[in-house]
Amino acid sequence: MDRRHFLRALGGATVTAVLTPEVAQAAAQMSQAGIDWQAAFADLEADVPRTAMKRLHGRAPEGLAGSLYRNGPGKFRRPGGSVEHWFDGDGLMRAFRVEGGAATMEARFIDTPKRRADAAADAVVTPGFGTPARPGARVRNNDDVNAANISVMPAGGELWALWEGGSPIALDPADLSTRGVKTLRPDLAHVPFLAHPRREPGGDTWSLGVNGKQALVWRLGPDGALKSAEMLDLPAASYVHDFSATATHLILVLQPWIQDRLVTPFNQSFSWRPELGTKVLVVEKADLSRRRIYELPPMFAFHYGAAWEERDGTIRFDGCFSPDPSFATENGKALMQGAWTRQEAAKLGLVALHPDGRATLDPTGLAAEFPRIDGRFAGHARRYTIHAAGASPNAPLYRGVATHDWKTGRSDAFDLGAHQLMEEAVFVARPDGSAELDGWLLAPSVNTRAKATELHVFDARRIAEGPLCTWRADRVLPVSLHGTFVKA
Amino acid sequence: MKSLPTLAAAFILGFAGAAAQAGAASAADLTLAFKGLQKQTGAILFVLVNSEAAYDDKAPAVAQDMLAVSGSAVTTRFADLAPGRYAIKAFHDLDGDGKMATNPFGMPTEPFAFSNNAEGMMGPPKWEAAAFEVKAGANVHAIDID
Repeated sequence: MDRRHFLRALGGATVTAVLTPEVAQAAAQMSQAGIDWQAAFADLEADVPRTAMKRLHGRAPEGLAGSLYRNGPGKFRRPGGSVEHWFDGDGLMRAFRVEGGAATMEARFIDTPKRRADAAADAVVTPGFGTPARPGARVRNNDDVNAANISVMPAGGELWALWEGGSPIALDPADLSTRGVKTLRPDLAHVPFLAHPRREPGGDTWSLGVNGKQALVWRLGPDGALKSAEMLDLPAASYVHDFSATATHLILVLQPWIQDRLVTPFNQSFSWRPELGTKVLVVEKADLSRRRIYELPPMFAFHYGAAWEERDGTIRFDGCFSPDPSFATENGKALMQGAWTRQEAAKLGLVALHPDGRATLDPTGLAAEFPRIDGRFAGHARRYTIHAAGASPNAPLYRGVATHDWKTGRSDAFDLGAHQLMEEAVFVARPDGSAELDGWLLAPSVNTRAKATELHVFDARRIAEGPLCTWRADRVLPVSLHGTFVKA
Repeated sequence: MKSLPTLAAAFILGFAGAAAQAGAASAADLTLAFKGLQKQTGAILFVLVNSEAAYDDKAPAVAQDMLAVSGSAVTTRFADLAPGRYAIKAFHDLDGDGKMATNPFGMPTEPFAFSNNAEGMMGPPKWEAAAFEVKAGANVHAIDID
């Protein structure tokens, strides 16, 4: 019996709404009987050499050629002690390479000081986001605890594996081997570099290093070289995982999950303070001292879309908003125990910062995460957001992908099925095209029934028609977080 | 892990508060070695303390010194120390400016080490972890740095 039938048999939403947590948990475990989602969070023990994927159906579109690099935690458990949070697994870089209608998959662990230390101890001793320090931990600077496991960006012919509390770690894009910790200037060693840099189309890349009520604003040229690094005072010591930007402004959302101490695990250093509300700091890229602050109700988000400014000065950006940080504190931990607690999914919403100083959030009601855009429109007016869709109340992550049209309010969505855990979709422009979403979405999934990682290609303007092409690997890789596409 | 500012602060205070204070007539010698230097520039700056208070910068140090780096190891020798418990805080002043360099968040960017190769956790290790015994006669203590 699949999950939908099970819930229908119980009477659907009415019943689920009155379930006690214990009953909900039991129901969740039962309904998951046929969905081995834990396979998506199992350890990968060794690097995976480049291997051909098997085409299941369809044909790769002409003109789709290049590498989809994806990062995410890949090993969680060691004999003497394991990570306690999904976000603390060792960074694993994947490459899905598409060329001439064929696809290959490979994966290689990032050779971090943390992975070396934990491997030598045969235990996860290094503290992390949700894992405490254990005896034998060696923490001399932020890069000793750098898991390099969130995202990846191309820079100056290298790939940089990104965490959020330490430096980028440079890899060779050809074989994913680790070149080492990237120090962009000697006096900026170990300064955090967020996993969600904002790249201007054809221009500079911006990132942040956040430490309490201060941020260092990184500005890199198109070649990845450092152009400037300036300090910025923040109105609150919020947890910052992502930020947004228009062509001319940086936008920092200071949510009321506030750091008020420094302990391990790191997520215990924060308190949820909804009474403080959410502050949105807008600063000019050209002069960081020129700043405005807007107020929004309390909310929690990991991810935002790129922002744009309208003619009357209104700034808009989207995000995936939750009522509180419970995934960061609770469910990300439960996953490592093979459990999932019912949780309201993050919902797609559009923030408007009005010229009169008001700020508003228009919710769509759509369960959504991993928002992405057609990167050619970053910082400029755009119509679409790409996102993972179809949250299962009883299992982690998502089972489909969608684009949301902000003009019509319509979604173009496809559901891969309850047995699939859909990963973040990345937009790839069609070589001859220039219109927004003229291209493809490239996204892997974990097929829990086949116990295999799959790679799907969608026409970005016809998601509901399903994948144009799907390949399947000969094995399953742990579900990944964020990726980037580099054209051949 | 976003911040290790207290670690750098420990060094800054430590060096500011150090005061040379050799032991009176006694029978202990200490040969001190810093090993594993990756970059052969600058100097090793260190303080030698003989109490928890001095270790925590609340009392003067027994000695402080600067050893120019010209190889992968440097050594120095203290004569006439009073036998007892001692600890060392050291950093490799790569740029030779006499200060422990930090990034804008106050996190150390030059290599540092403590006696016993003791490791801290988001701050310097405790006195108990770094303290070692100096006995009458010859003593040798080696510290890995870099």
